[in-house]
Amino acid sequence: MGMLYEYEAKELFRKHGIPTPANKLYENKESIDEFVKEINQKTFMAKGQALAGGRGKAGLIKKVSAEEAEDYIKSIIGKDHKGKPIQQVMLEEPMTIAKEYYLAIMINNATGNYHVLSSSMGGVDIESVAKEHPEAIFRQDLPIDFEPLPYQFVDLGKKLGFQGRVLNQFTNIMVKMFSMAISKDLTLVEINPLILTEDNKLIAADAKVVVDKNAYYRNKDLAQLKSQIDQYTELELEATEAGISYVELDGEIGIIACGAGLSMATCDLLEYYGSSPANFLDVGGGADREKVHKALDILSREKIKGIFINVFGGITRCDEVAHGIISAKEELNIDVPMVIRLIGTNDKEGIKILEENGFHAFGEMKPAAKKIVELIKGGN
Amino acid sequence: MAILLDENTKVIVQGITGKQGSFHAKSMIDYGTKVVAGVTPGKGGEEVHGVPVFDSVKEAVEATNAEASVIFVPAPFVYSAAMEAIDAGIKLLVIITEGVPVKDSARIRKKCKEANVQLIGPNCPGLITPGKSKIGIIPGQICMPGNVGIVSRSGTLTYEIIQNLTLNGLGQSTCVGLGGDPVHGIDFTEALEMFENDEQTEHIILVGEIGGTGEQEAAELIKEKITKPVYAFIAGNGSWVKPGKQMGHAGAIVQGESGTAKAKMEILSKAGVVTVRTPQEIPEKIKEKSN
Repeated sequence: MGMLYEYEAKELFRKHGIPTPANKLYENKESIDEFVKEINQKTFMAKGQALAGGRGKAGLIKKVSAEEAEDYIKSIIGKDHKGKPIQQVMLEEPMTIAKEYYLAIMINNATGNYHVLSSSMGGVDIESVAKEHPEAIFRQDLPIDFEPLPYQFVDLGKKLGFQGRVLNQFTNIMVKMFSMAISKDLTLVEINPLILTEDNKLIAADAKVVVDKNAYYRNKDLAQLKSQIDQYTELELEATEAGISYVELDGEIGIIACGAGLSMATCDLLEYYGSSPANFLDVGGGADREKVHKALDILSREKIKGIFINVFGGITRCDEVAHGIISAKEELNIDVPMVIRLIGTNDKEGIKILEENGFHAFGEMKPAAKKIVELIKGGN
Repeated sequence: MAILLDENTKVIVQGITGKQGSFHAKSMIDYGTKVVAGVTPGKGGEEVHGVPVFDSVKEAVEATNAEASVIFVPAPFVYSAAMEAIDAGIKLLVIITEGVPVKDSARIRKKCKEANVQLIGPNCPGLITPGKSKIGIIPGQICMPGNVGIVSRSGTLTYEIIQNLTLNGLGQSTCVGLGGDPVHGIDFTEALEMFENDEQTEHIILVGEIGGTGEQEAAELIKEKITKPVYAFIAGNGSWVKPGKQMGHAGAIVQGESGTAKAKMEILSKAGVVTVRTPQEIPEKIKEKSN
């Protein structure tokens, strides 16, 4: 999805003029003691950096004194949070809070417009606010090609209860958020909470940003961020580089399929026959020899009981894909059962070649799926 | 009749000199599509498979009166190519390219609505009216003319369903792949209405996926306006699906309960749609209804 770490999102905020608390990042390379001393402050908000949500509940965010900071950082570095270890901790200047707000902008997929979601009740889960206090939620739609200007957000600011100089701060933040979202191809920018301090300043106390992966080519600075690499496992990253969509799952049978819809339907069908997919692997609309080889290379390093290949030869001919499968099996020493379903140009030749080489090969999907499940369950 | 496309539709291929564009232009021509021109800036005056290449869509339209265009250019160039086609007066625009930034897709969609252009895609296989014409990459050899209309968010899964229909002697009126991206051109409801109004179509298949709300909107419309039988398969209906994980298509993200395949199938069933757990069951369901 292209989510950023909070410290990366806040860095982006600062570059675009959106106010955030002063902070410093501990990266587990330096001495914690010296790191804390350098900031020279009495208390901090210490925040473990993670891409998965629920950090507060997991105890990864805590207000600590300078004396407590070292122990706290030590206690959360390396701690598992939803499958990934915490690698970095941000220490942030604490805010004096007068009131907390919620603010988010996103692309509304159903309408294709930009959408603002805001609330005068921030700092809590926005979905529960929407359920219990719908009157505290304010929305605004804006055309996807609009030019952000402060006046467009005066009404919204007033609904949220802002006035005077704070209202101007608000409209400014909105313009900056939108300018950032438009120029950096962000599909979500969320601030929860947006804090009004006791001395009447609006500050983004948290920051959540999702970037559009399809726009990496024109936002190379974002594409190279640590978060964009950490979001994948090592194998997923290797697959991505080869143009393969790969997601690790918990089941028995490794899958190679073509196109997202057919890959999902393939996973569904294995479950229908009483087994389960070990992964989701989509080599794209038309398989070619190299991609199938790479996909098998990835699967050969996973713990699986069998492999089901369900490919549609697009530009590439199926007989060529069949030869690719045969050589890959030998080179990679794959010893689990394999069933192949081939459809597309020259599919009959492809199936024949595979059968002659001792593979189970089919032209239709259902009997093929049934076969692989039988094979891993010990049948013939 | 069929919808959107017939044997008289004149088609331009944008990106015809590229590997994908050239390959699929040939397969469209072989299928019978009236491919009247290709466009690649800087290559005007050349020919590809006997089709004249122009430097701009405007020149191609002036020379051929084409009303449809299909885009095969790489993702970074799609926005400009689409805007160019709309400005040149194209009325049916099909974008095959995958990986188009969502902001670009949304802007293209907005401009198409304003200019009354039917947009299909991006990240889609295109459409085919079997026996007459195809725009895009759906393999012609698996199709057969008939009375089943198909509207789908998927590419290869659509081929799977078409192949099963054809093997069972059930032909198709038109098959439309809407595209797998979260923001795309015409949606389920628009395609359903077209099939409802099409004399040739007697059955409609809807192929959905986890994520998004298109299937829910379709269910609303079906309840109110669609009198022809509708059959639906939703990919990602197993318990293996991990919420929040993206399964290839940007569109296939489970967003809350409403985006799950199970929720979609329930809503569609309530609207009177025949839902199936495997795509291979569709032909028998159609045969049951026909008897």
